[in-house]
Amino acid sequence: MSEFAAYTVIGLSVGGIFALAALGIVLIYRATGVLNFAHGAMGMFSTFVAWQIFYGWVHPGWLPGWALTASAILVGLVFAVVLGLVLEFAVFQWVRTRPPVTKAVITIGVLLALQSAASLIWKNNQYHLPIYIAPQAWTFQVAGVPIGANQIVIIVVALGLAFGLAAFLKYTRLGRSMRAVSDDPVSASLWAVPVGKVGAVSWMLGSVIAAIAGILITPFINFDTTSLTLIIIDALAAALIGGLVSLPLTVVGGFVLGLLETYPTIWIQSLGFPRLIALLVIIFVLIFRAPRGMPVATR
Amino acid sequence: MMNGHLVRLVIAIVAFLALAWIPIGFDVGLRFDAALSLVWGFGILSLVLLTGYVGQISLCQATFAGVGAYAAGMVVNTFHAGYIVGIIVGVIAAFALGILVGLPALRLRGITLAIVTLGIALVFDKYVFQDHIFDWFTGGTGGWRVDGATLLGLRADSSTHLLAAYEVLLALFILTALLMVNIHQSGAGRRFRAIRDSELAAATMGVNLTRYKLLAFGLSAAIAGLGGSFYPLVAGSVSPQPFWVFTSLQLAAIAVLMGVRYVPAAALGGVFLAFVPDILTRYGHGTVAGRSYDISYDWFSLALGVLLIAQLILLPDGVWGDIHARAVKAWSAVRMRSERRVSVA
Repeated sequence: MSEFAAYTVIGLSVGGIFALAALGIVLIYRATGVLNFAHGAMGMFSTFVAWQIFYGWVHPGWLPGWALTASAILVGLVFAVVLGLVLEFAVFQWVRTRPPVTKAVITIGVLLALQSAASLIWKNNQYHLPIYIAPQAWTFQVAGVPIGANQIVIIVVALGLAFGLAAFLKYTRLGRSMRAVSDDPVSASLWAVPVGKVGAVSWMLGSVIAAIAGILITPFINFDTTSLTLIIIDALAAALIGGLVSLPLTVVGGFVLGLLETYPTIWIQSLGFPRLIALLVIIFVLIFRAPRGMPVATR
Repeated sequence: MMNGHLVRLVIAIVAFLALAWIPIGFDVGLRFDAALSLVWGFGILSLVLLTGYVGQISLCQATFAGVGAYAAGMVVNTFHAGYIVGIIVGVIAAFALGILVGLPALRLRGITLAIVTLGIALVFDKYVFQDHIFDWFTGGTGGWRVDGATLLGLRADSSTHLLAAYEVLLALFILTALLMVNIHQSGAGRRFRAIRDSELAAATMGVNLTRYKLLAFGLSAAIAGLGGSFYPLVAGSVSPQPFWVFTSLQLAAIAVLMGVRYVPAAALGGVFLAFVPDILTRYGHGTVAGRSYDISYDWFSLALGVLLIAQLILLPDGVWGDIHARAVKAWSAVRMRSERRVSVA
């Protein structure tokens, strides 16, 4: 029984990562109509930038550990902001009126470029030196089940970001603009909604969320440039559960997928098997519950 | 106007005679690239059929090729069959998987299809091609070796018979391309194009969507599998690496880059995918101005991504599509000028 509970904790923290990654996909998709296959690659690149600050260089001895962690994460997030803005201004603002399929294929080009650039810089090694938000020694025992502080951080950040983003979209002026653009870009621009600014902000936000997901996952897996890039399929599955529209449902989808992928590992020791579960979830959702968000972007 | 079929047949024969001589002067490495360019050429040709003709996206064509390769390797190793049996089984296995992938595709189109096929590519890459449950199919971690196999009486040995494999592949590639151009103009081709332009309209006109979408996926997978089933013969063995998910993404990227609606773009793309990385790793290192440089395989993938983005913004119809449009424009300008001269005279 305690084994089951332990796997539940692992599943929820993995699911929190999927949820975070999926939130960025849904945000960008709603505001710009781009289904971003490069989302994992964007998060991967920012994560490696943070990793480089944290482990890659020799640090002055007087710098305390927490300051190092903070600066690594800060640099990673700043890089993510720049990456998002560069993608919007160099690429996606030129294809705003193209069909959604064309935009999706462009993101495949972005994926290939980012992944190969990262593998040029950081090679194809496996890294297992994580960036801990909370000290690794902080663990709690709840009814005999160890729960790491880093796992709690993931779950809290995922939930907090989901509700924060939902509130942002609902109550702020910029959030309302983003929803207007996602409903109908042409009439939104007729009502003087700054479509370009909305695109830039959503790419920036999406990129930052991807970076957060990437940095938070580092304590739990051996990561390399491809494995973080390929998280995209789990993130897409979670986003599809949310219908590519709903932020709270996307987070629920992430947690559900995390649990579904973790429980079988009690019996099946296979690195590839969770991918099969993600695929089955995707097919199930697409066939039995067509995503509500599809018509918005296929117009 | 001469019969169109005859013209295309003559073009195909001329193309074969022209291309068959090229690798004779090559060393072993470049002969390998020449044969490999046709293996991947089939992969891109399968996308011309599926995406260019029928409008269905797929990000798992390398998976179909991989299933063809593993099935051929398994049949040749486990049952000691001749290589030609391996090829037939490989094509059939890929066709069956194509039909299977086509089933969810009946309800999907566009981006959703891209997600599902990406998932399939990932499942085969990380699970089927690598997990020990499927060792009977993949030959375990070492993969299959096919050193002793024979194809049409030729002993298939990767170092000496690359040229023979190239000639057979080239003949099959041109035959398949010819077949595809003929399909394009046949009743099935008209139905395919109707599905591409609007599934709803096609269904209203009486096109059997189920049959023709499944047929398109099956045929496309079989074409990719035909190329893939030659892979063990060309490389001497099979491993998961060539058929991993990034190859599928590269195939899709190159097909779009070269012009996914045009058959010749497939040959262009195959040559691009097989030769450029090898030539880069071969000659791409040295010293310039005291600093040594090393252009590795990753530069190829990086350039491919950037080229794809630039092409989709600037030349939406692809490289071959752009050349084709310019040629047609120039030709009609020439014809107009000559006709005017005739009418004045």
